[in-house]
Amino acid sequence: MSRFIARRLLIALFQLLGLVLLVFFAMRILPADPVARLVGMNATRDAYLASQHALGLDRPIWVQLGSYLGVLPGSHGLLEGDLGTSWVSGSSVASELRHRLPVTIELISISFVLAFLISVPLGMLCAIRPGGVADSATFAYSLFAGSQPVFWWGLLFIYIFFGQLGWAPPPLGRLNPMSTPPPFVTGFISVDSLLAENMGAFWDGLHHLMLPVATQAFVLTGPIIKMVRQNMVRVLGADYVLYARASGLAPSRIAGVALKNALAPALTLLGVLYGYILGGAVLIETVFSLPGIGQYAVQSVLDFDYPAIEGVVLVIAAISLFVYLALDVVHAVLDPRLAA
Amino acid sequence: MDLRRRMFLGAGAATAGVRLIEPRTARGAEQQLLYLAEDVPAGLDYDGPSASTNTSQVGFLNLLEPLVGYPSGPTNAEGIRTLDFTKFEGRLVESWDYDAATLTWTLHLRRGVKSCAGNIFSADDVIFTFARAKSASGATPVGWFLGSVASVKGFTRDVLHGGDKSLGDAVTKVDDYTVQIRQSEPNHLFLTALAIYGLSPFDSQELKKHVTPEDPWGHTYVNTVNAPGFGAYCLERWTKGDEFVLRANPDYYRGKPAIDRVVIKKVPQSANRALTLRAGEAQLTQHLTAREFDGLRKARGVTVAGVYGNETLFLNLNFKTPPFDNPKLRQAFAAAMPYAQIAQIGYAGQARKWDAHFTSVLNGYVKPATQYARDVEKAKQLLTEAGFPGGKGLEKYADSLKLTYVAERESQLGPIATVIRSALQDAAIQLQLDPLPQTEFKTRSLVKKDLPMSLLDTEKPVGPDVVYATMLFFVSPAAGGINNMANYANPDVDRLFAALRGENDPAKRLAMLTDMQETIQRDLAWIPTLETKTQWAFNDKLHGITWYPDNGLRFFDLHLDA
Repeated sequence: MSRFIARRLLIALFQLLGLVLLVFFAMRILPADPVARLVGMNATRDAYLASQHALGLDRPIWVQLGSYLGVLPGSHGLLEGDLGTSWVSGSSVASELRHRLPVTIELISISFVLAFLISVPLGMLCAIRPGGVADSATFAYSLFAGSQPVFWWGLLFIYIFFGQLGWAPPPLGRLNPMSTPPPFVTGFISVDSLLAENMGAFWDGLHHLMLPVATQAFVLTGPIIKMVRQNMVRVLGADYVLYARASGLAPSRIAGVALKNALAPALTLLGVLYGYILGGAVLIETVFSLPGIGQYAVQSVLDFDYPAIEGVVLVIAAISLFVYLALDVVHAVLDPRLAA
Repeated sequence: MDLRRRMFLGAGAATAGVRLIEPRTARGAEQQLLYLAEDVPAGLDYDGPSASTNTSQVGFLNLLEPLVGYPSGPTNAEGIRTLDFTKFEGRLVESWDYDAATLTWTLHLRRGVKSCAGNIFSADDVIFTFARAKSASGATPVGWFLGSVASVKGFTRDVLHGGDKSLGDAVTKVDDYTVQIRQSEPNHLFLTALAIYGLSPFDSQELKKHVTPEDPWGHTYVNTVNAPGFGAYCLERWTKGDEFVLRANPDYYRGKPAIDRVVIKKVPQSANRALTLRAGEAQLTQHLTAREFDGLRKARGVTVAGVYGNETLFLNLNFKTPPFDNPKLRQAFAAAMPYAQIAQIGYAGQARKWDAHFTSVLNGYVKPATQYARDVEKAKQLLTEAGFPGGKGLEKYADSLKLTYVAERESQLGPIATVIRSALQDAAIQLQLDPLPQTEFKTRSLVKKDLPMSLLDTEKPVGPDVVYATMLFFVSPAAGGINNMANYANPDVDRLFAALRGENDPAKRLAMLTDMQETIQRDLAWIPTLETKTQWAFNDKLHGITWYPDNGLRFFDLHLDA
């Protein structure tokens, strides 16, 4: 198993390096100039040139790459773990990501856990009696949930649950904006508030997370239910399940065996969805004013903030690769032949 | 807030141990303001990379105090206070003298002004700030730019090309409360430049604690941590991309601000800003769509008010790109523009036809005699006189007849561009719409200046003076023009601009100002289209909103009813 993991990590390293180079050059061939964005419309030509020099954009592209990677004498760069400094905010990209990433990870992870907890029993229920009432109702629900993009559901939920019913707090981020957040330790509000023994912030955080998580989970459950249902139907029709039934095993035990085999493809879907949702979190973050990595990524692209774009791509890719690796390990545990 | 929501949130808040958002009650008798914004400051350095964004400017505008400002002007019918740009009043500078013989300004500084860090304002802070500006060490040297606008000695273009970056004797300390600034030439824009945020003094004692050998002017600290100054507010908390929290400076020299704490919260969706304000959960917001502002006008407890300041919409036709070098064609465009229809469709009526190249609030504004109005028959006649009868011959210029605008602002500018295209079609002028990504648009507007035709609504002079605006937009680059996107060049305008900078006689100034504005209007340097209102939506308990030419709010001006 350790060789399997080491091999995958090595491949992931090369994938990341390739991605870094691709993004570095792709940004620079686009017909836009980040300096123009920075200096504003009323800048003189001289001020423009001064800014261009300050950002190092007047240097040859290979020198810029060497500087970014940190291979030039006296430069600090990616190879030392330095993601650079944002051209827009002047802050280190690593520190900005450290504040932004937990917001998104917390939202998405809780949404995935919730979606998984809802989807698996529902999928199993549908699979037990395909075409039954539960199956038809779930099919209609998953079709309904997947029929509109997540931001549309978000706006609708805000209108209903905040605007009309008043059950949810205003869509103003992770906490009541007039309150004082717990000291930053991990960046996860739920964890940091517990560490600070600030139960007010903890419950307030959950309250503010309620609607975005519900929105994200509402959209996520559709495809997961379908996947679990399909796999359960397939597995329940397999010879070994028929044999288990004929042997008189208890239905709960048969369901457990079937679920274990049905979960593997569902886990793959979860992994793919996790990376996809992480990269596209901007929609739900924008709707609920959550200062996560999705908003940061889009703003960086709009600003042509090269160091920030490169940092975001690198981090999202690294997380996606880590998730895929973790799934491979889980698969290997479920089916040891894969690790061979 | 309706009873059902109040009960639910009240119970929730009690359970969770958090407060509801109430303007006065959160900390005893404190007044608090929740301002929902598109973004919070990305940096606090006016010489830094985010200085040109309005959402960043709000940060340093409230933390720093300018040397001079403008006295209050009339309050308009909607309750928005304006300023009188024909006069200056002292801020950190209490009074000043000017010696024309030696081109020297003597500034008498205000005594007893205390910063958020507890330091007393003195001449050292002014010297430090001007030296920092002259160093041109920030990513965007705004301080140097304003110094050059004011003709401060040594603030020349050479500074940016390896020239002397030391302050020398340009700004000298006479005593702790007196500073002298020398100019290189007579320049009427001196005080105008000093009133702009980019020369607001830092608390040098505090900032020097955070400088490093690599960053001797503390740009990193100011961009990422705090802008120590003598403003009405002090920084309490700042999470980039999320929130920016200010606390009233108890020692502010004009008195402690009425609102003790201001929370600026980023809410990117304008619909959510409107909904939250309508629900009574916030007190102030802006940058909503015309429809959202309209919807809030009818909401209980919410006021929508605005002012015609310096926000405009205009068509930029590049003189270097045929056929826009043809004066008759430019006039045909002006006669074909659907002014009233754009005001209705793009701004829900909160805009009016722009009769000049300068807005009427600017110091020195004179309404030109030459006027253009929507008249399709006249447009067709002008088109014929331009050599394109019935639009024939224009097909050769298909590449130029592409109306570009910022694609990210499609929801606002797209319908306006469509209306313009349709209206020009009535006059036999065929256009194509060509939205461009923001960064590409700015590159071509600012750096290359090669966009043949563009629709713009973000150009506003932060110096509220016709001469300053002329320098920005209409003076040729050779004569010191800065952002002349239309590549407009008229030697008469260049000459009048140069003369106006040094002329102090009011009668002569008026004659020259009139002549200059008339010339620009006659030449149609732009196709001025609309003056648009700068608007705010706010809880009707909030008062005191004042319009400034940088369009940034000063929270010191505001107060909430008990």
